[in-house]
Amino acid sequence: MATSFDQPVGAGHAAGLSDGKSGGAGLRPGGGSDMMPVRRSVVARRIGATVACLAVVSILGVVLPVSSALDLEYVVSLALFAVATNLLLGFGGMVSFGQGVFYGVGAYVVALGWMHHVLSFVEAMLLAPFAGAAVAFFLGLLALRTRRLYFALITLAFSQLGYTIVQDQSSFTGGSNGVFGAMLPSWLLDPRTAFFFVLVVSVVAIAVLWKVTDSPFGLVLRAIRDNRERVDAMGVNVFAHQLAAFVISGFFCAVAGSLFVVYSQSAYPALLEWTSSGTPVFMAVIGGMYLFPGPIVGAFAYQLANTYLIEHTQDWQIILGVVLLAVVLLRPDGLTGSIEGLRSLVRRSGERVRGRHRHGSNGTGPAGPAGGEP
Amino acid sequence: MARFLIEVIGTLSDAGSLFMVAAGLTLIFGAMRVINLAHGSLYMYGAFLMTTFVGASSGLRFWWSIALAAVIVAALGAVMELGIVRFLVGKEPLTQLVATFALFLILADTALHLWGNGARTVVAPSSVSGRFTIAGAVLPVYDLVIIGVAVAVGIGLWALLRHTSVGWRIRAAVDDPEVLESGGVNLRRLNLGVFAVGALLAGIAGAVVTPQVSVAPGMDESIIVTTLLVVVIGGLGSVTGTALAALVIGIADTVGTLVAPTWASTFMYLAVILVLVVRPWGLLGTPER
Amino acid sequence: MPIRHHTPRRLAAGLALLLLAPVAAACSSTSSTASSTASSTSGGSVTVGESTTLSSSIAELGQTALQGLELAVANINAHGGLLGKKVKVVSADDSATPATGASNERSMILNDHVVAMFGPVVSSVASAEEPIAAQYHIPIFFSVSNDIALMTSGFTKYGFQLVPNTVMEPRAAAAYLAHEAGSTQITVGTFAPNYSFGTSSVAGFIQALKDLHVNYKLVSQQFPPLNATNIAPYLSALIAAHPEYVYNAQFGGDLVSFTQQANQYGFFQHTKMIAMYSAQPLEALGSSAPAGAIGFDRAPFWLAGQQGMDGPGISAFISQFKAKYGDYPSAWAIMTYTAAQSWAYGVKKAGTFNGTSVSNALSGATISTIRGPITLRACDHQANVPEYVGVVSSTVDPTYRLRLWDPSSVFIAQPKTIMLTCAQSLALRS
Repeated sequence: MATSFDQPVGAGHAAGLSDGKSGGAGLRPGGGSDMMPVRRSVVARRIGATVACLAVVSILGVVLPVSSALDLEYVVSLALFAVATNLLLGFGGMVSFGQGVFYGVGAYVVALGWMHHVLSFVEAMLLAPFAGAAVAFFLGLLALRTRRLYFALITLAFSQLGYTIVQDQSSFTGGSNGVFGAMLPSWLLDPRTAFFFVLVVSVVAIAVLWKVTDSPFGLVLRAIRDNRERVDAMGVNVFAHQLAAFVISGFFCAVAGSLFVVYSQSAYPALLEWTSSGTPVFMAVIGGMYLFPGPIVGAFAYQLANTYLIEHTQDWQIILGVVLLAVVLLRPDGLTGSIEGLRSLVRRSGERVRGRHRHGSNGTGPAGPAGGEP
Repeated sequence: MARFLIEVIGTLSDAGSLFMVAAGLTLIFGAMRVINLAHGSLYMYGAFLMTTFVGASSGLRFWWSIALAAVIVAALGAVMELGIVRFLVGKEPLTQLVATFALFLILADTALHLWGNGARTVVAPSSVSGRFTIAGAVLPVYDLVIIGVAVAVGIGLWALLRHTSVGWRIRAAVDDPEVLESGGVNLRRLNLGVFAVGALLAGIAGAVVTPQVSVAPGMDESIIVTTLLVVVIGGLGSVTGTALAALVIGIADTVGTLVAPTWASTFMYLAVILVLVVRPWGLLGTPER
Repeated sequence: MPIRHHTPRRLAAGLALLLLAPVAAACSSTSSTASSTASSTSGGSVTVGESTTLSSSIAELGQTALQGLELAVANINAHGGLLGKKVKVVSADDSATPATGASNERSMILNDHVVAMFGPVVSSVASAEEPIAAQYHIPIFFSVSNDIALMTSGFTKYGFQLVPNTVMEPRAAAAYLAHEAGSTQITVGTFAPNYSFGTSSVAGFIQALKDLHVNYKLVSQQFPPLNATNIAPYLSALIAAHPEYVYNAQFGGDLVSFTQQANQYGFFQHTKMIAMYSAQPLEALGSSAPAGAIGFDRAPFWLAGQQGMDGPGISAFISQFKAKYGDYPSAWAIMTYTAAQSWAYGVKKAGTFNGTSVSNALSGATISTIRGPITLRACDHQANVPEYVGVVSSTVDPTYRLRLWDPSSVFIAQPKTIMLTCAQSLALRS
């Protein structure tokens, strides 16, 4: 029964906002691959890999210098942001450019609770996700009337709306200067403690999101993505499922936002803006949105490379631009997609030409297979 | 009355420049189904090229500078199409967004190297830089220039789409590219042409607005969000819808400032949301595109 | 400087890690986390850092400020360095984003072991950076962002302000107006983008008019949204109210854009606008610079020789800057240069690079800079720098080939008249 961890979650090219061709009987090849049972040994290997990665991240959190540990802490919280966003993107086929709103709501609940002396830190952290979910519920009611690119851009409008409201209503929100200050309780002040707090919360949240995608609800969501009309004809309430996904995503984006406050002890309007909303989308695309861990890989690659480039060159924009272009043109399924493809190629070539030279086993060059196809 | 006239002309000139940028974007989307985030960069390049060509002098040179800037931007668009955008046709919109955002970054950094980071301005020729008075309202002549160019662009586009064989092909491409291709039309060449024309429009808009703005880095970013919203509420691919949408955005902006100044900046986004909630495919868009 | 968030441009992911993709996926890599080139204080050099905005529409401020710092450090090194050590500069773009600024700063402190930080452009980034500097006991010098909160509610003993702050600047403009109006009644309008800096600058200006007992009548106040493209409604409302004077809190490209549009309405024929007409916007405006408008500036290079711009080496600095960067130094470059001089003074006085010792040495110190002696007063670490006001000239300055201010109109607002008293400043701290 266990489905994917890094198994493709459905058709490799099931487009989020695919154009034109989705009407009627647009059955995509391989649409059912995610239902295939996975061998027990594979499950064991995946659990092993997950534990190993967690162990490495934890150890790094202890041994790295503080500034790098803080970078890592931020990346971990962004990974949650990206995975929560990808519930809509990769699994739901809904491209949202508005998740920054919920991220910002999460951050502002904590920051404003502190600034206005109305909520303790713990209360605010507990309230933040529900505030995000509530906002997501109302925005989802409106946004889900639209589809595809229209959905992407109405959510973008929400993002900009939230940004301008926070910026303009400065007496309540602190305006464009944002909220800064000692908003963490004393037990969280130590950077290593904060690191593990963020890590534990993120890992638990990501695990819950994985359960969600792995549940019957997740299956229906993917089925809607792949063929909305057929699911609708089967009597499933498509709107309700999509709204539920939107609310769940909003809930966890807000968790990520509240973790941003733990990292930065601040909240400011740009957190809600479209560029902030775009960040997790880009991470998911880069990492690969049709694999559950794709956005996590994307978050690490994106943020670490971004930090590195910014610190080392003034022309970081041009370098980023060129690398991004190379990635999306040569690796349309993202990093994990390529790796999946690479792995299957290695496996295949290993089986076929056992004992001979294995070609492509260390091939990171552009000549790799069109990855991600199940 | 005077106040009203000032608002109307200001709104029209604002909507006019917005329409010119957005029309190019919607044309490209309609024919190629490619969403181009670097469209605002083409607008910015039009403006920067204008500052280079006009220089300190003005007069007649001003007018041919607009034409020259726009043509060079069209050429830049053609290069973009041949080098990158061509490979995005038929790809997922998300791939297109990331790729064209990459182009946006590259063009922004390149502009920084070419023109520096300071603000630049262009002075319009004295014949159009003055003001005139109607019914007690003092109005800038240049607003009329912008409105006039926008109307000319609109009519030109309409004539191109309705009354030329190229226009017929573009409209056919909007409806069904496969059928068009099987009919023997060279889609690649058509796409190249459409993208260059879209870039041309962005270039014209960027060059024409220079006397009213400061030309500086960041122009690309500030225009692209509004442009995307105009295109989407107009209905993707609909030039007429884009014109309507530009007006809606312009009016929302003006009304907001008059009715509730502290909430003014939210009006534009509220208008977008309202339109899409009532008409999920935009004002003149077709469902299921 | 004040400023708004210009949208951060960090949407992209850098994929230098592309080649490491297998590693990254197998177990998300941290290889580049710790990879900032570590340059230690040993080996005869120390490092100072500047994380500021180097891209997008406010890049000019950050870029020229960084040039000021680099030139100052080059000159320090040319004179044998500090305490026998060469000084190096590390810099990074903060994309006008507080989290990026904070992360850059932390990395500079912990990985590059910087001994001093030079501040960013945007106020909110400065607010994020100041407590981190304090946490690691590193002095931080603000030479562009000038929010009063940095020295009051956000005060730390490691923060120093080399710019006339957000209280001093509107007070200077009001003082000029009081001087010009005398006892006659004047009509006044205001114009500012609707965000923290804009609204507080306008409020400070009105308060200053009251304090100076100017006989004024407020006829119109306009607060357009930040980044509004269509300002016609606001302009027409202003024009309809017929103010004799308008205080405008815009700067840089926004001010240039406002001026161009207002010109077309004939706005400057009947109204004197008071705004930050420093060299850069005047240069950008060229022949459309509004003669008769009232400009203010924080450190205008063309007033070299006048009070506050008359320290030893000022003219040498200006020509050196012009030779090196091809342009005259902006106010940001000049103030960042004096910030570097202040730090160097503190190091020499303390005899160590230790941040706490340097900060202690600087508190209340009077430093000889290219602008003349500057005192960083002990109560809030605000420098006693003047603000300059003058009328935009109708003729081109023969030396600089720019339309600048009428030499006869220049008014220098004295620091002690525009600064908050220590008691007032301390009262704002809680």
